[in-house]
Amino acid sequence: MEMEKGKVVVEKVRGKSTVIRSFSKYPLKFITPRKVGSSITDAVWIYSLTYGGGIVSGDSISVEFTIGDGCTAVLTTQSSTKVYKSLGSKCSEQVLEARIGSGALFVVIPDPVTCFSTARYSQKQVFRVVSDSSLVIVDWFTSGRHESGEKWDFELYRSSNCIFAEGNQPVFLDTVLLEQSSPVDIAERMHEYQVIAMVLIYGPKLKHVQDQVQENVKRLMSQQLQIPSTRLGCCAKTNSDNCLVRPAFIASCSAFGPKGMGVVVRVASTTTEAVYRFLHHQLAGMEPLLGVSPYS
Amino acid sequence: MPLPASPIFTIHAHFSKKKKKKKKISQKIDSLEGGLLVCFVMDQDLVETEKRRKREINIDPGLQWSQWQLLDSILPTGGFAHSFGLEAAIQARLVSGPDDLQNFVIHLLENTGSLLLPFVYSATMNPTLDNCQKLDRILDATLSNEVGRKASVSQGSSLMRVAASVFTELPSLKSMRDVCIGSGVVSFHHAPVFGIICGLLGMDSGTSQRAYIFMTMRDVISAATRLNLVGPLGAAVLQHRVASVAESMVKKWMDRSVEDACQTAPLLDTIQGCHTYLFSRLFCS
Repeated sequence: MEMEKGKVVVEKVRGKSTVIRSFSKYPLKFITPRKVGSSITDAVWIYSLTYGGGIVSGDSISVEFTIGDGCTAVLTTQSSTKVYKSLGSKCSEQVLEARIGSGALFVVIPDPVTCFSTARYSQKQVFRVVSDSSLVIVDWFTSGRHESGEKWDFELYRSSNCIFAEGNQPVFLDTVLLEQSSPVDIAERMHEYQVIAMVLIYGPKLKHVQDQVQENVKRLMSQQLQIPSTRLGCCAKTNSDNCLVRPAFIASCSAFGPKGMGVVVRVASTTTEAVYRFLHHQLAGMEPLLGVSPYS
Repeated sequence: MPLPASPIFTIHAHFSKKKKKKKKISQKIDSLEGGLLVCFVMDQDLVETEKRRKREINIDPGLQWSQWQLLDSILPTGGFAHSFGLEAAIQARLVSGPDDLQNFVIHLLENTGSLLLPFVYSATMNPTLDNCQKLDRILDATLSNEVGRKASVSQGSSLMRVAASVFTELPSLKSMRDVCIGSGVVSFHHAPVFGIICGLLGMDSGTSQRAYIFMTMRDVISAATRLNLVGPLGAAVLQHRVASVAESMVKKWMDRSVEDACQTAPLLDTIQGCHTYLFSRLFCS
């Protein structure tokens, strides 16, 4: 199995962030429209597309991004990444490696990954930063085509996100692995939640967004969490719904990294729309940096 | 995963109850067949116990005293201040009774196995200062959940302090602690600290990984009794019932490299992160 390599290099040309190299091979394609948002903001938007709108069993896609000093680049998709049924034990994989220069900002804001039944999918994203790089990663996946009843029916989903500082120092290492062969099946582990998302906001350019998100999530969740009013055990007997109702949307925030330079938000939701709304709302503060508000 | 009640276990449980009940039961099974069955089951048990007894002869008795003390819940490492996200899960109505609790414990053990056993394993196999520092740094970047990370640091540093004072036959433990404190860059995460102590005590890596899962199970079930989810007897029954699932988790996740450490219960991680949002709470995590 050969890796299909894609490559994008963003550098400052006459003071503006510019894609100076862009290369991709089937089934991957990058589109870099010139005008996204106002001309005052200095940001390039890169759309990653796959032919057929998804990833077929055994596809292996690898891309490299270099975001030069002081540049701003956004990597996004136009619709969810569908991972189709796997043939045999073949695993589809996507690998992304990015170098983010000094004072640069890289924003990875895709739509969710949706693994169809029996699909096997593995994704690895490695980000190399320097002390004043900034980075936003949204990484999320759904239970499958859950509207038509296909819930947590895939074979394997693995997603790794790693951030390394200079000298290969680990700043953030995270791997989520869901596989059907585990002693506990995935659907049971997820209760009725259909979407799992991670939003990572790192670096000096995004301090205001971090503070806002932490405050918002705290306010949102403090209302949802409470000591159940009816004491344990009686709920099942009385069959009353109100004491068993779980929050449809759960989020929590954590600071990480040296001097708490990063904030990571973990989300579990019963609907995809609620996560889109959340992302739109929480990342709206980035509009001045990107020209357009993410997920709008 | 529903656990089938073992017939052997059921009969034993009846017998261990008070005399009155014993009489009642023995009347019930007064027929010849019933009596034979009980005798047969007891004989089977004796054979098994005998086999086990013979197997365990080679264990170093000195090691056992240390092992038991390391796993004893009276060792003051502050494990009882943590609920591993259970308290938040109750307030999010994800856990509301004994059945939910059993599932929660199983999910937690699987996540502990996939995420932390690689660190216990590496530390037990190579209990050196270098490895301690390396594992600590990697785990600090891996535990991105602030609640879980702080819990790991507070339990790990108490365990290191206690172990350095208790296991005086291992002077390297104390010197390792002193160097780490001096360097200021080691946070003393729990899993590698535990592995290092096991390694220095001469415990094999299988035992140390199993012991780590055991402690996690012990502490979360203990938290459940204090959160009024189960009574003390129910907790003991649950602990024994979950043991076979826990063993399958250990088998699945043991002896893996640190690069393979992963989360297998993302929902649990999200919930645990909510702990600081709880208006009233008993536990630190």
